[in-house]
Amino acid sequence: MIKKILKYVLIIFVAALFFFPIYWMATMAFKPFPEWTAAGEKLYWFPEQPTLDNFREIFVRRTDFKTDISSTATGPIINSLIISSLGTLMAMVLGIMAGYGISRYKAGGQLPFFLLQLRMFPPAAVLIPVMIMWAFLRMVDTWYGLAIIYGVVTLPFSTWLMKTFFDDIPSELDEAAIVDGCSSFGAFLKVVLPLTKGGIASTALFVFILNWSDFLIAFILTDRKWGTIPVYINKLQSATVGQLYGPKAALGLLAAIPPIVFGIMIQKYLVRGLTFGAIKK
Amino acid sequence: MRTWRESNVSNQDSQITHTKQLDKGRLGLFFTLPAQTALLFIVVFPLLASLYLSFTTWSPMTGRGTLWYQAYQFWAWFSNYWNIITDSAFLLSLVRTVIIVVVVVPVELLIGLGLAFLFLEKFPLKKLFHSVILMPMMIVPAVAGFIFYMLFQSAGPVNAILSKILFVEITTPWLTGSVTAMICVMLADIWQWTPLMFLILLSGLMALPEDQLNAARILGANWWQRFRMVTLPLLKPVIVIALILRGMEAIKIFDAIWLMTKGGPGTATETISVYLTKELRYLHWSWVATAGVIVVILISFASIHALKPIKEQEEQT
Repeated sequence: MIKKILKYVLIIFVAALFFFPIYWMATMAFKPFPEWTAAGEKLYWFPEQPTLDNFREIFVRRTDFKTDISSTATGPIINSLIISSLGTLMAMVLGIMAGYGISRYKAGGQLPFFLLQLRMFPPAAVLIPVMIMWAFLRMVDTWYGLAIIYGVVTLPFSTWLMKTFFDDIPSELDEAAIVDGCSSFGAFLKVVLPLTKGGIASTALFVFILNWSDFLIAFILTDRKWGTIPVYINKLQSATVGQLYGPKAALGLLAAIPPIVFGIMIQKYLVRGLTFGAIKK
Repeated sequence: MRTWRESNVSNQDSQITHTKQLDKGRLGLFFTLPAQTALLFIVVFPLLASLYLSFTTWSPMTGRGTLWYQAYQFWAWFSNYWNIITDSAFLLSLVRTVIIVVVVVPVELLIGLGLAFLFLEKFPLKKLFHSVILMPMMIVPAVAGFIFYMLFQSAGPVNAILSKILFVEITTPWLTGSVTAMICVMLADIWQWTPLMFLILLSGLMALPEDQLNAARILGANWWQRFRMVTLPLLKPVIVIALILRGMEAIKIFDAIWLMTKGGPGTATETISVYLTKELRYLHWSWVATAGVIVVILISFASIHALKPIKEQEEQT
């Protein structure tokens, strides 16, 4: 019994440790300027005069803080949504096809491992020629320029996740469809794809979270017009008061919503794909 | 006569299987071609261009209007490579990256494994605690960096809590000391990615076959023996893959560091990604290309070993 209680206390303690940073951000988002830091010798553990000023600051922009950014957060949020979705769409179309080809026809040779290798390269190490190419094609700081890179960077995950989902479906099903007069592509489209709906949805959401979270690539490849949320958060400082704690936390809190919602939805599928099918069932 | 017919039939048969195989190859190509084309344009071509630029001293600034393909005008053979492998900033950033990966990934594994064992039993509010612990991995990494920037201010909550526990006023300026800044960077990563380890290991543990554990229990094995002789060997494939997955991403660590310290104080938390990004912003393009080629070669060597377990698992199925 004592052992059980001790274990429970330990769990509560660990959960509190993991939760505290999130608590700090969430409360910071509602703290007015004087409560941001302990400059007045007092640290505010919770907002004593809760306010929505921080959200107003990022969406309406007051002029109290002189920042070197000229736009509100609305633009970056829309940019993030558009670019992450398009990147996801591209990764999914390519990944579904490649995953099916690898799963059924063992096609592509070393492609699956090359993809994993690709995932290990730091983006900064291979981005220069892309920047040069993009500058040549006038694609720097555009939505499609960034979306294409996202589509390729997350391709390893979409391909591998989809491959494990296709592996689960017995190939006798496609063969039966082909015997019944379907073309091979028809069997893929009409029989296999509908059966992997859940897998496709969860892979897409996972890839979306990855794109949504990226900072480095957007930081290098975008500028004023198409900066995403993390790029904007990075820029949220003012010449007079330094780091804008409240607004940064407010936007951070908003940015956490899609991943948390999607993450909870796909938890069940996530683990299988992430372990490359090592966990069965 | 009859034999002729038979051989003819079997001939036809083999022809059919032959065309079938050809079809299969063609279909496989059809399905993987789009992905391969994308990789050719976005990965292979850039890598070759990087290789080319790494032998020159070209940058958009020195070029006086020369385009990248005219970089041969600044041909410099291996001088970039020589300068870079004797450049302490580059070498130290490599060392720091390795230190971070080697510390952070095993710590995440151990905490994740411990937590996973705690969550095997039933207890009140289990679902709530489960989601609370998974939350950090849903936070945008750049935002996680900023959260830890707030927490580790010298007048921030971490020092306040430590002061309360230890009954002494603590005002350590965490992010401005080079060792403490490194610790903060690691803590941020551990906080964010232990949940992923936990999630993977817990699912792995729950998928283990019960009967072997039961057999061990009946045979009188104690907790530690059951863990070492039964659970650990069964769990090994999952552990290996979790380590690979985390290692793969930890090598690239950048977002949180940039928001916390920008690689500082000085260059104390400058990892390879931070180093490359800084040089990129100074427009030292051929220099970055060289560093990039070296990093890609190093990681390719590392990945051959790192990805072996996944390859073996693939060949089994």
